[in-house]
Amino acid sequence: MGRITLENVQKSFGDVEVIPPLDLTIEDGEFVVFVGPSGCGKSTLLRLIAGLEDVSGGEIRIDGKPATDLPPAKRGLAMVFQSYALYPHMSVRKNIAFPMKMAKVPEDEQKRRIESAAHALNLTDYLDRRPGQLSGGQRQRVAIGRAIVREPAAFLFDEPLSNLDAALRVGMRLEISELHTRLATTMVYVTHDQVEAMTMADKIVVLRAGHIEQVGSPLELYRSPRNLFVAGFIGSPKMNLIDGPEAARRGAHTIGIRPEHIDVSTEEGVWHGTIGVAEHLGSDTFFHVHETGLAETVTIRADGEIGLHHGDRVYLTPHPDKIHRFDEGGLLIA
Amino acid sequence: MATQHSKAAARLMIAPAVIVLLLWMIVPLVLTLYFSTLRYNLLMPGGTPFVGMENYQYFFTDPAFTTALVNTLLLVGGVLLITIIGGTLLALLLDQPMFGQGIVRLLVIAPFFVMPTVSALVWKNMFMNPVNGLFAHLARLIGIQPFDFLAVAPLASIILIVAWQWLPFATLILLTAMQSLDSEQIEAAEMDGAGALSRFFYIVVPHLSRAATVVILIQTIFLLSIFAEILVTTAGGPGVASTNLTYLVYIQSLLQFDVGLGSAGGVVAIILANIVAIFLMRMIGKNLDA
Ligand SMILES: Nc1ncnc2c1ncn2[C@@H]1O[C@H](COP(=O)(O)OP(=O)(O)O)[C@@H](O)[C@H]1O
Ligand SMILES: [Mg+2]
Repeated sequence: MGRITLENVQKSFGDVEVIPPLDLTIEDGEFVVFVGPSGCGKSTLLRLIAGLEDVSGGEIRIDGKPATDLPPAKRGLAMVFQSYALYPHMSVRKNIAFPMKMAKVPEDEQKRRIESAAHALNLTDYLDRRPGQLSGGQRQRVAIGRAIVREPAAFLFDEPLSNLDAALRVGMRLEISELHTRLATTMVYVTHDQVEAMTMADKIVVLRAGHIEQVGSPLELYRSPRNLFVAGFIGSPKMNLIDGPEAARRGAHTIGIRPEHIDVSTEEGVWHGTIGVAEHLGSDTFFHVHETGLAETVTIRADGEIGLHHGDRVYLTPHPDKIHRFDEGGLLIA
Repeated sequence: MATQHSKAAARLMIAPAVIVLLLWMIVPLVLTLYFSTLRYNLLMPGGTPFVGMENYQYFFTDPAFTTALVNTLLLVGGVLLITIIGGTLLALLLDQPMFGQGIVRLLVIAPFFVMPTVSALVWKNMFMNPVNGLFAHLARLIGIQPFDFLAVAPLASIILIVAWQWLPFATLILLTAMQSLDSEQIEAAEMDGAGALSRFFYIVVPHLSRAATVVILIQTIFLLSIFAEILVTTAGGPGVASTNLTYLVYIQSLLQFDVGLGSAGGVVAIILANIVAIFLMRMIGKNLDA
């Protein structure tokens, strides 16, 4: 079981309020991702849940029981740190065994859990090495192994993949997702990378300056961002935001249209412009179109093998039902 | 630095320094070895005939030799024990955020800047003196017989004085090591259910082991040759109760004007230092790898 509720949780460091009072419920078995730009308070929020920071106000409940004043060890949560925080002088086996040793789990049970974690995480051949002799990805897996053997009510991850190279990150992303499917344990995952959030989450919590901007499933956030911030943050490449007469014509202060919702043609369309940079990814091509009179650049996604290049004059047509309209305050106009 | 050419150039560049250092070491060593084989007493002018190992024989059969050897080891061991344990505890204390941290840290380092002779004199006359010392006053205050430290427990008293001098060094090195401990490791241990004591023994102590090794090695080098503190406080006495090897060499070569015997003692001290060094490296040297 791992249902975590935050009620009016607030955190200040001295005079600086990092997390204004917020409410949030994390359901049992859910994969929740906190996403937001650097410094927005994601780690702080996670550490409040873990008990590594004391709340300045509000209540934290885990499975309905008050946990606000419980020390970290008593909350039944396991955390994977950005730096992995492995114990450098202990072998992988001892690292993984450490929480069980502290909990006085019987020897043979310890052994069984280590074996099964090592097997699941492909660490069997490395059990007797020190963390210093492992690659980044392997260290990451040891840190996860150390969390798994505690059989926690929920896992907390703080940007666990940010120290890995791109290829490894994709692999580990899958492994963590698979782990979640297999264990069906609550996971709270912090990242600043919206791709990680979109690919892994059941529920995304978008944070800005400690505020929750929107909570929802990846597709909900993609389809109906509640405000300009979420609209600009979720989705890659970013949504095109256009203001001025073109927006006013549609009764909005700003309109947003995603690159994949604009058709490109060499003959006719609503807007026109000149292709600046063309990014050929093979499967897709991204064009940065200039001189449209709408915004500095309009990004569009087109077919991978479309025969257009830098300097070509093109016509653009947005899908009318995919245009998001925002008012002066940046809120979505329903 | 990898090519043949750059290696050769590097050797050429460091050669002058190496040669000077080598001379600096080799000349006194060879002279000491040479003197130790001569009958060379300043009170007996005339020849300095070669006598082979005779000086060594005298030195080893001197009744004070065994005592001095044991005292040397006790002195080194005792001071190391106090400074490592005390230094770790003090470092732990100084690592806590507290009011006036800067001043307190400065004060803790202060004993290191006091010259050995001065600090030994202060301890002898102001603290340990059985009549006027602070400890005697305190003892009388609570109504017990003052304890004559330097007469009754001379070696222990000297260990105390020397440990007081070296405690700041150990504290300082261990404190820097403690501050370099990744706070996420401590937090991870906290999440893993380790209490304060477990965190100290499983995470902090292993992290400090390398710094402690450095402290032990450096202190051993200096502690093997403790001299000023003994000269100033007990002059090796009562009897030879607080005489170490260095002091024994001093007694024989300078008080008895026997250069040959003193040199032999010096050579024995060098050999002892090397034996201790080998043992130390065996025991704790692996902490310095990688
Ligand atoms: N211990 C602390 N003392 C003071 N300010 C802090 C502390 N920890 C974090 N902050 C501040 O809180 C804000 C949020 O930090 P953090 O939660 O680490 O952001 P994120 O993980 O989203 O990048 C930052 O502005 C940071 O400077
Ligand atoms: Mg962070």
